[in-house]
Amino acid sequence: MSTCPSDSRPTLRTIVENSLVVLLQGLHGQVTTVDLRDESTARGRVVNVDAYMNVRLADVLFRDRRGRVSRLEDLFITGRNVRYVHIPDNLDITDTIEKQLGKISRMRNYETKNPQSQPKTCKICT
Amino acid sequence: VEMADEVEPQQTTNTVEEPLDLIRLSLDERIYVKMRNDRELRGRLHAYDQHLNMILGAVEETVTTVEIDEETYEELYKSTKRNIPMLFVRGDGVVLVAPPLRVG
Repeated sequence: MSTCPSDSRPTLRTIVENSLVVLLQGLHGQVTTVDLRDESTARGRVVNVDAYMNVRLADVLFRDRRGRVSRLEDLFITGRNVRYVHIPDNLDITDTIEKQLGKISRMRNYETKNPQSQPKTCKICT
Repeated sequence: VEMADEVEPQQTTNTVEEPLDLIRLSLDERIYVKMRNDRELRGRLHAYDQHLNMILGAVEETVTTVEIDEETYEELYKSTKRNIPMLFVRGDGVVLVAPPLRVG
């Protein structure tokens, strides 16, 4: 590697706070269906969604684009391959987003009170 | 994040300054979304962001396919519809957003 990572790259938290991914993060623990770009679908419990919309599902019913069904304990879907996420009908969107943003800002407050020493320069370059 | 109900007090202007502001005008209204792969969505816009990720309610998705008759080479257009109560749409599939098309 010849160059250091740029300091102007947005943090994952900034990406999340400024996009609708924050709603998907509020779905942790709920069962939803993800429609993939290639027409296959995955229905399972949301384990994690990150800033790039990568999704981890558990106890999944996976239907491939030919209609063949299989059961998977654990499935990781890259964000680029997501077309739709079916939101549970009874979900309050405003409430979910507010709660999720609240969690994120509480984590930020925790970090400023207990600053983890983050290296400002990368060890490889110095 | 832009929502039909404000999450927290934000500095939103009322003037239309950039193309995304036009979408803001459609919040809580029914809209038409043309997507890649010959798909169209019609639904109520609840939220959107700068990537055009959107949350649509009471959605009707239309998928259009063309079949070519092997003998006559006629093009047969078929469309399949389905209804989804609440849908999160990833923005990179969105081609255009418009008020619902009026027929005639």
